[in-house]
Amino acid sequence: MKVFFRRVALYLFALWSFFPLYWLLNTSFKTSKDALARPPTFIFKPIMKNYIEVIKNNEVWGYFLDSLIVALGTTCFGLLIGVPAAYVLARFKFKGSADFGFWILSTRMTPPIAMLIPFFIMYLKLGILDTHIGLIIAHVGLNLSIIVWLMRGFYEEIPMEIEEASYVDGSSFFQTFYKIAVPLSMPGISAVGIITFLFSWNEFLFALVLGDSVVRTSPVGLYGFVGYQKIYWGQLSASASLLLIPVLFFVFLFQKPLIKGLTLGSFK
Amino acid sequence: MQGCFFMNQFRKERNKFIILMLMPATILLVGLTLFPFIVSLILSFTDYSLLRPGQTKFIFLNNYIELMKTDEFWIALRVTVVFTVLAVFIQVVLGVVFATLLHNENSNVSLLRTLYLLPLAITPIAATFTFRLMFNPSLGVLNYFMKLLGLEPQAWLASPNTAMISLIIVDTWQWTPFILLICLGGLASLPTEPFEAAKVDGASSWQIFTKITVPMLYPFIGLALLFRSIDAFKTFDIIYVLTSGGPGILTRTLNLYAFKHGIEYLSMGYAGSIAIVMLIITIVVAQIFLRKNKLLLPKDTLKR
Repeated sequence: MKVFFRRVALYLFALWSFFPLYWLLNTSFKTSKDALARPPTFIFKPIMKNYIEVIKNNEVWGYFLDSLIVALGTTCFGLLIGVPAAYVLARFKFKGSADFGFWILSTRMTPPIAMLIPFFIMYLKLGILDTHIGLIIAHVGLNLSIIVWLMRGFYEEIPMEIEEASYVDGSSFFQTFYKIAVPLSMPGISAVGIITFLFSWNEFLFALVLGDSVVRTSPVGLYGFVGYQKIYWGQLSASASLLLIPVLFFVFLFQKPLIKGLTLGSFK
Repeated sequence: MQGCFFMNQFRKERNKFIILMLMPATILLVGLTLFPFIVSLILSFTDYSLLRPGQTKFIFLNNYIELMKTDEFWIALRVTVVFTVLAVFIQVVLGVVFATLLHNENSNVSLLRTLYLLPLAITPIAATFTFRLMFNPSLGVLNYFMKLLGLEPQAWLASPNTAMISLIIVDTWQWTPFILLICLGGLASLPTEPFEAAKVDGASSWQIFTKITVPMLYPFIGLALLFRSIDAFKTFDIIYVLTSGGPGILTRTLNLYAFKHGIEYLSMGYAGSIAIVMLIITIVVAQIFLRKNKLLLPKDTLKR
């Protein structure tokens, strides 16, 4: 009985999460007339025209590639510099460590409106406007606070005994960090990696201003299907649906450590 | 003597480690955020406008005084607070509950997890415009369902009664997965003994949830809530696309208010002062939250 109610709740929530996407998928198989039919249609003659148009469109492939480079770069680079900082903040108390942690957090608080124009000027002067690396640096900057604070939270939950034992065995700080602490925190790294990837993949404002014409990520590219007068529903929905495939693939790859009992259990 | 020498050696080693581990993140963040912050701060003390860039004057706190005097600012502040508090509250409850349910489930877990993450994975532009289509009073699927269920069709985004609710629905749809994902990660990294012990003692699921799951997950919930609040406080895209702050200014948040002045009226000084006020509010609230919940510092550190 308990299991039954739990499943009802879980599948209802799945329906709620999926319905808008179902509607988007639905729209992607409709003609432009069907897409705006009144009343809305659930059953109709599906067409592949939108998908064929999108697949033939080299620009959409370009959005995909740019997004992939930027999001993967942001995830790797972000974890690479965020995880060590998080570890130190979780394990060591030093002068000003609370203020330092809060300062990192505060970098996420500035409203984008205040950051965009200075960012643009800075990038223009440095000559990294419209480059992948430029956008990756910006996205790492935007998400580093989340990476550091969430990872710090994960390290706090990991018992310190194993690391302490490793020091007693004569390992250095660095060895203990990458041989013991990093493997132990894989569920955290996985969750934070997925979040960082998705945030970067879907970020719009900075991608628009800093990457615009050369590096055009998918949110910016897809916005092109939204005209002033008319929304190109077919192409918008078809390309958004297609772009979901690589994201799901990435999420699927990264979610493995989230499965219960895989981490701490193996040390006991 | 010798012990002292080793201590010094150890201290040096430790400090070197701390500095090296923090260095890359610090350099990047100083490089990226310090300059924009200083520019915004300086601009907020001037009447800088792109309409007449040559005649910028230093006007000290006038922008701030002006801001405090207008009703529009206070209305925007109220709208922002109502939106943030309601949306984040619903998202945290849903996120924690469904993460726990999913953690205890054993069939189709992978499928369910993927379905739950979809709202976070889809390009927001596409999702938001799909919601606009679904909310459409005459041809949207929402009113279609309302009619099927025998309920009164709503104007959703256009009506003063439902505009805010509609925005909260969309935000909740999009961002609950964020909380859920953090809680799933948290649940996966918690030790299993307390749960097993409670089960052996015959505790009910509800007791386990309130007495063990939530307290143990507490730091993760706190962090998820904090980040979600920081982001919700400066939400822009969905409000801009769905209501543009309307009807009237009933859903115009501080961020949209700043956008209006900065980008539409091009008065960057005034927009800068709104941004700084937003920053101050967030910093104060975050400090209080972190101190009250003892999350500012790790609860325990290495003994060496």
